[in-house]
Amino acid sequence: MTDSKDTTLDEAVSLIDKANGRAATMLEKVFAAAQPGAVYGQPVTAEGYTVITAAEVTSGGGFGMGMGLGPASRSDATAAPTVEAAPPEDRETGAGGGVGGGGGGGGGAMGRPVAVIAIGPDGVTIKPVVDTTKLALAGLTAWATMLGLLRARRRARKR
Amino acid sequence: MRSGIDITWAQEASAEPVTVGDVTVTPRARALVVRTPRGGFVWNRPSAVIVERSGQVRRIQVVDVTRVLQLGLLGLGLAIAVASAFSSPRRTEVAP
Repeated sequence: MTDSKDTTLDEAVSLIDKANGRAATMLEKVFAAAQPGAVYGQPVTAEGYTVITAAEVTSGGGFGMGMGLGPASRSDATAAPTVEAAPPEDRETGAGGGVGGGGGGGGGAMGRPVAVIAIGPDGVTIKPVVDTTKLALAGLTAWATMLGLLRARRRARKR
Repeated sequence: MRSGIDITWAQEASAEPVTVGDVTVTPRARALVVRTPRGGFVWNRPSAVIVERSGQVRRIQVVDVTRVLQLGLLGLGLAIAVASAFSSPRRTEVAP
């Protein structure tokens, strides 16, 4: 808490506005995955066949931010707890006390091939893409669960 | 300030049609979109392909074989677990 603040409330508010703008841009990118063009690849032609890849696309993201005013240098503790609650003169000068704020965000995207569409002399065919790694993991999990159940059952019989 | 989930919807849309010779293929995708005030989530997957050939229109489903097999394995595991639970020997209390 300092009396001479490098960052006034106005500067902090403008920073938050800037962060809001960036967050909106990030969200636009997240929601761009909802377009059909994100699922289907560009057609590739070779040896009389045109091939289009199809993938499952998942994306998500979020952000959060906040700021507030600390206890004032005033002794009567009348400083507003939030920027919105601060009187206009305090917002301009930041006289209500220390100003603090922070924010963060994150996001991610994932794609998984599902099928290949082939257009050729024999018509249109859809060939599925099987993810053997995922299936092996699911199979191992199911097998381990069953093994655990069988063991538990045997123990119950012995008692 | 808004709170909670604002919009959740599912949509089906067509991608750019691809024409090869006399065949026109229009891929279709289905998306689930969840939009919240501070974030969002999108799950988009291929649903079908519309094939137009000499005036005839045919719809071919795009099946996610990996997902089907995964769910099958999950269902099998659950079925065996339930069957095991119901068929386990019950201990009967004998009065002294």
